[in-house]
Amino acid sequence: MSVPVIRTEKITRTYSMGESLVTALRDADLTVCAGEFIALMGASGSGKSTLLNVIGLLDRATSGEYWLEEKPVSSLGRDELADLRGRRIGFIFQNFNLLPRLSAWENVALPLAYRNGQFGHQDQRTRAREALSSVKLDHRADHQPTELSGGERQRVAIARALVTQPAVILADEPTGNLDSNTGVEIMRLLKELNEEGGTIIVVTHDMNVARHANRIYHMRDGVLKEGESANVAH
Amino acid sequence: MSLTDLFRTALRSVFANKLRAALTMLGVVIGVASVIAMLALGNGARAAVDATFQSLGANQIEIGQRFSMQDGEFAPSGKILRYSEGLDLSTNIPLVERVEMSVGKTLKARFGQNSIEINATGTTADVFEGLVSGGDVQPVGWTGGDSFSADDFLGDGRFFSTDEVYAGAPVCVLGYQTALDLFSGDNPIGETIRIDRTRCTVIGVMVELEITDLQNRYQSDPNEALLMPISAMIQELYEEELSVFMTAHVTDANRIDEAKEQVTAYLREKHQIEQDAEGNYQDDFDMLTRNDILGQQQEAARTFSILLAAMAVVSLVVGGIGIMNVMLVSVTERTREIGVHLAVGAKQKDIVFQFLLEAVFISASGGLAGIVLGILTIPFAAALNQGVALLLPGSIPLALGVALFVGIVFGLYPAVRASQLDPMEALRYE
Repeated sequence: MSVPVIRTEKITRTYSMGESLVTALRDADLTVCAGEFIALMGASGSGKSTLLNVIGLLDRATSGEYWLEEKPVSSLGRDELADLRGRRIGFIFQNFNLLPRLSAWENVALPLAYRNGQFGHQDQRTRAREALSSVKLDHRADHQPTELSGGERQRVAIARALVTQPAVILADEPTGNLDSNTGVEIMRLLKELNEEGGTIIVVTHDMNVARHANRIYHMRDGVLKEGESANVAH
Repeated sequence: MSLTDLFRTALRSVFANKLRAALTMLGVVIGVASVIAMLALGNGARAAVDATFQSLGANQIEIGQRFSMQDGEFAPSGKILRYSEGLDLSTNIPLVERVEMSVGKTLKARFGQNSIEINATGTTADVFEGLVSGGDVQPVGWTGGDSFSADDFLGDGRFFSTDEVYAGAPVCVLGYQTALDLFSGDNPIGETIRIDRTRCTVIGVMVELEITDLQNRYQSDPNEALLMPISAMIQELYEEELSVFMTAHVTDANRIDEAKEQVTAYLREKHQIEQDAEGNYQDDFDMLTRNDILGQQQEAARTFSILLAAMAVVSLVVGGIGIMNVMLVSVTERTREIGVHLAVGAKQKDIVFQFLLEAVFISASGGLAGIVLGILTIPFAAALNQGVALLLPGSIPLALGVALFVGIVFGLYPAVRASQLDPMEALRYE
């Protein structure tokens, strides 16, 4: 737990909504070390998704500094961010965000396809199947997303996030579109990944989800505060 | 993303919306078909000209009487073209090497007891050279290839000279069969035969000839010929002088237009044709060269080609805009997908190529369909243009190139727009 994977210093994100300026994130300081499982909690509109987007390099902070694996990223260009995002960050979305015309394994292989030809077609296939078997879905590799259940889709998405062996996995309400049983399954899977050494940040408003985390942060009106550990609370 | 991955992705996207893609192609299909048809017309015109060229050499000017309607009948207008004018052309105009003329008439020829009907031809001294250069007649059993000369046509005696043509000398050269029929195997050289009421001395006999060009089988058998100077023929065997058709051979094919002007000036002077009030000449003769035929054919093809070119441009632009429109819709529809691509590491160029390839795939498919349609259209285009249209093989890669160009030009803007989407907003797009 010594190496900081993510370190932010006073990052602020403001949007202009017509005439007015909205501050979605204000002076957020966050340090996440390798192997941690962090939960970001807060009501909708509290700014937790904004923070996740900035950490995930999908969005840029208006001010403040952000180091990903000790590397400052504020000054990186669009394609450099895309490259870093593809290599070091794995995303899991509430609505799965699988591509409809690709099979399960092709969806999983997508991040590999964007690695400048580093992985050949066969290599992509092998690695995608390995990732799928780690979420126990290798038997569904050739199915289209529409042929899969919600839980299966989310497991495909987790496999896609894992396939590049990223520095951190960012999950935005990963159980939000799933029934409670399936949600528990997915959280168990994420917990296993964490126990194998994976660094995970989950955004949620569900305490049942957050209780898997080592540390919990609360967001309110764009301000980030570290809360009590869920594990300690229980 | 590797090229094969890109191709696969683009193909899938197009096939996911087959009907939409097919409808989008339509403009390109019509545009490309127009390009194919247009070039086929031009090519056909060229082929037609080439065919005409075989009968009209690059250094030849055909000169003929102009006819006009007079009292409800076609009649020669102005003065007739005299054979003597033809003979004078070559002496007075240095650029004119020689002028071939001929007149023909079926007449009775008699020697002793033998009397036959023959096709008498009045001609100039160099008629054999015309036969040689025509290349479709050769001595029977000839094995020397194309390299025969005028002398090889002559079996015995000699041919009449230019001086004899000028003088109107009553001499004649007989075809192989004509000589056999009249003289039953005796030597005809130096004998005098009767043609109608005119006496004529035989000075030469031709060898047996055969026509080699199968397409010219309709021409009269050269073995049954009787040739005499055109002057003698017209003076002795016609009631009144007739207008002749001339083929002037120019010394230098590159100066044929210059020669044509000189011939025109010469004939206008002879025929006393003056400029009228508007500065025009009312010529009583017409001239034709390769360049004229080329001009006529091109003129015929041009009108239709312009129409097709306009149609091609309009269709391609409309088709291109259609592609752009569909691609813009597609980018909007797939905003979320683009967001996913960006989230897993797609660079700007990856997104540009995916959408560009999709547009190019649509336009290229349209191009291929257009090529097929264009080829099917050629017979119809030909029917509208005097039967002249011929697929130009080079037009196929060109048409495909045009289709690709349209796809790239009109696909670029939507593709670039897609690549510039904000990843976070794209992912949030509903």
